[in-house]
Amino acid sequence: MIGFIKKDLAMIKSNFKLMGILFVVYAIMGFMGDMDISFILPFISVMIMISTFSYDNYNKWDAYAISLPDGRKNSVRAKYVATILMMIIVSIVTFILSCAISYYKTQTIDLVQMLSTMLGSVFGTLLVLVFMYPIIYKFGLEKARIGIFVIVFGIVIIGGLLIQYVDLSYISKYLFCIEDYLIPILIAVMIIMVYVSYIISLRIFNKKEF
Amino acid sequence: MENILEVKDLCKKYENFELKNVSFKLPKGMIMGFIGENGAGKTTTIKAILDIIKTYSGEIKIFGMDNRKDESKIKEDIGVVLDDMFFPEIITPNDINNAMAGIFKNWDSKMYFDYLKEFSLLPNEQVKTFSKGMRKKLEIATALSHHPKLLIMDEPTSGLDPVARAEVIEIFQGFIEDEECSILLSSHNTTDLEHVADYITFIKDGEIALSKTADELLNKYGIVKCSEKEFKAIDDKDFIKYRKTKYEYEILVEDKKAFKSKYKNAVIDKITLDDLMILMIKGEE
Repeated sequence: MIGFIKKDLAMIKSNFKLMGILFVVYAIMGFMGDMDISFILPFISVMIMISTFSYDNYNKWDAYAISLPDGRKNSVRAKYVATILMMIIVSIVTFILSCAISYYKTQTIDLVQMLSTMLGSVFGTLLVLVFMYPIIYKFGLEKARIGIFVIVFGIVIIGGLLIQYVDLSYISKYLFCIEDYLIPILIAVMIIMVYVSYIISLRIFNKKEF
Repeated sequence: MENILEVKDLCKKYENFELKNVSFKLPKGMIMGFIGENGAGKTTTIKAILDIIKTYSGEIKIFGMDNRKDESKIKEDIGVVLDDMFFPEIITPNDINNAMAGIFKNWDSKMYFDYLKEFSLLPNEQVKTFSKGMRKKLEIATALSHHPKLLIMDEPTSGLDPVARAEVIEIFQGFIEDEECSILLSSHNTTDLEHVADYITFIKDGEIALSKTADELLNKYGIVKCSEKEFKAIDDKDFIKYRKTKYEYEILVEDKKAFKSKYKNAVIDKITLDDLMILMIKGEE
């Protein structure tokens, strides 16, 4: 699997410069003004990884990948691992920058607040990954792009309807009860989501012919 | 003789095409030329062997193991060049080395860079800057650099100039020298195959039309060129196929000597793989 990850990272190395520029922009905006774009950065890192599907498809890599040892399994697994790895690295750099910005402005660092923001951003980005990857494996990147709009639109509509017509106060009460365990629960939910998404993607890819 | 690859009763159905009971055996230490016109089923057969297509019936054994059950073990020892270019254009040969070192247990970086040097490929240039021939060379270098026991090559010499082709053919001949390794070589370049192949398997409309040793095929088979009058005097059972050209009849015979002994005045030429393919495809029975 390591080889497949290296190949995916090699494909996006030209984007590392772009990520670097985004970090600089984020830092400047943070130090100079009030605009916070930290939540976007992990999302952009996932979008960059998603572009590797396009290169694979254009260059007919998948057929060759299957001819390699454990090609189907390693190919899918490497996409997930490389994406999550990218996301974690970008989130950690963003977190460190956010701490520095906070300290520069207020001479304090609210670690809990910072961690919550980072986890929220990671969770949202993972949602894109867990829905998008199986769709990409099933229908290809072009159709998946339409799919993601449908998913995001659907989540917004359903969320809006729930807030408007359903009494959610008991959920917030329940969340208050488990407040101390919220972060571990959130991490567990993320792991389960990614695992289920990976299994679905693998099943789809295992059936694919090229 | 031990077989490195055995394909038995391979069937695969598409809407407009079908592989029908494809069977052949590739012994150790041999090169098999896999020939046939475009769309005859060569690439589909190779894809089934590599499990790139899945919904087929039949049995495929590589190194005596089932190609699906023992996939991981088998693929460590197979080097592959596919019909289509497959390396992402934005990576470099150096990136490929790093990736393959993490994929193959036996990856040999030194061997890989030696091949790159031999083929005059720059390690830090992106694949997109390479010509079609250079990309093929890169794929061949990659296929050879993990000490595989079986090479499966779909049109590996397409796009190569004659010098590079000769170079690659020489590498293939060296590859089977220790008699432990074999090559399944699909190619339209039949002249190369005549020089290098020990076996020839010919696929036509999804069926194996013949699978024989190259010696038997090229020395025993013959092509008779004759007039219409002479053709009419030949018994139907004494030839496989015939074809009427503008000036003469061309007849494919299975046993040159036997034919000559029966038809003393017949002029029988040595057959080439091109002649064989044309007569097998265009000829009538």
